[in-house]
Amino acid sequence: MTVLIVVLTVMVLVLCVLVVGLLRAYATILARLHQLDGGGSETAAGPAGAPPFRTADGVMPMDHAQARAPQPTRPGRTEWAAAHDIVGHGLSGEVVSVRTVTVPHDSVIVFLSSGCSGCATFWEQLADPRGLAAVGDNRVVVVTKGPDEESPSALRQLCPPDVDLVMSSAAWADYDVPGSPYVIVVDGGSGRVKGEGSGTSLTQISGLMQQAHGDGASSGGGRRIVKPRSDAEREVDVDRALLAAGIGPGHHSLYPSEDQGR
Amino acid sequence: MTGDPTIAGHGFSVQLPTAWEGRIYRRDAPSIAFSPKNRAAGSTGTAATQAPNGWLGEQTRAVVHLGNFPLPAVRGDYGSGAVEKMTAENTFIALLEFGPECLGTALYGSVGLPRVSPDRFDPNGLQRRLPGQAGCQYFFTEQSRPICLYVVLGSHQQAARLSAQVNRVLDRIKVDAP
Repeated sequence: MTVLIVVLTVMVLVLCVLVVGLLRAYATILARLHQLDGGGSETAAGPAGAPPFRTADGVMPMDHAQARAPQPTRPGRTEWAAAHDIVGHGLSGEVVSVRTVTVPHDSVIVFLSSGCSGCATFWEQLADPRGLAAVGDNRVVVVTKGPDEESPSALRQLCPPDVDLVMSSAAWADYDVPGSPYVIVVDGGSGRVKGEGSGTSLTQISGLMQQAHGDGASSGGGRRIVKPRSDAEREVDVDRALLAAGIGPGHHSLYPSEDQGR
Repeated sequence: MTGDPTIAGHGFSVQLPTAWEGRIYRRDAPSIAFSPKNRAAGSTGTAATQAPNGWLGEQTRAVVHLGNFPLPAVRGDYGSGAVEKMTAENTFIALLEFGPECLGTALYGSVGLPRVSPDRFDPNGLQRRLPGQAGCQYFFTEQSRPICLYVVLGSHQQAARLSAQVNRVLDRIKVDAP
């Protein structure tokens, strides 16, 4: 009898070890699958190591606690980096080019993936006019990784048809996106990033985004200056001539070095 | 992505000038016919539940859309959905390929990608009239592909200046043989 109990106990212990081993292997497989889906090490609050949403200098955060706290920076990244146009593919194989630089409007680029848990609220809000209203009149573009790293069929289930979605791994690299969800606001006129970061939803970051746009628009003194028509037309002509010559915002010829200035 | 991007697909390629963006696509051939049910479903939901775009049995061909304004995600082949968002400074260009059955017909008798002339633009040349806008169509054959060029100007009064802009874009379009 004693021998039987000992044998049974050993068998139960061996089985327990086997079950624990199987569960660990299963957890490892799930974690790898999550990474392959583009989820990475994201949490519901955003990708690991991603800063909260922040805006360019001169744009005050809405809550005072955040105003006092130093804004996080990402090492190795030029502050308020140059923006990039986006070229990629749509969900039905469409070849897409989206301009974010040297355009008269600002762009809100929302980097999402089909597999990240933190993106669910963004997808829901993109389908809701009230969610889109959070970003104001600015152009909204959803950017996922390319078709070789994403699942177009899964994205088709998530993305509303009237939302511009571009699948472009190059855009993720150009903007140095740490993970999803991640939002970048581009100033179309200057061609530079003027706000970026992660969050849990569009509405959560909408306050800072709208303030970034509002302050940018009112940087001339709070009111839009009404120019004489001839001045406005002359400016358009000058802009057109410069653009035709390949000179856009940020072009080096517009910023002569000190030696040239002497 | 820095500099002027080039987009290519379905036998067309365009190097986009500053501030211009573009799309090249070929609609999936519709596998189901329109019905009140799927038409209603197309107005809501996700891309996967969209109503069929086209008619049952349609042979779809390549379409190129170019504009110097933000092109919306949902557009008709002739720019519906996009032209409504144009200002007086904007221009919309569509290139639509037709089937080989059109080759050799009188309509597509002109050979080579044309350049537009300001006097061809007319508000009545639009698919649907919109205040201030003017449009025109050219039919031609390029690289043995019958193609329709449809251009919409945001301002008929600015036809001379805007059509020169259109011609600069047309200079950058290449069509490959099928």
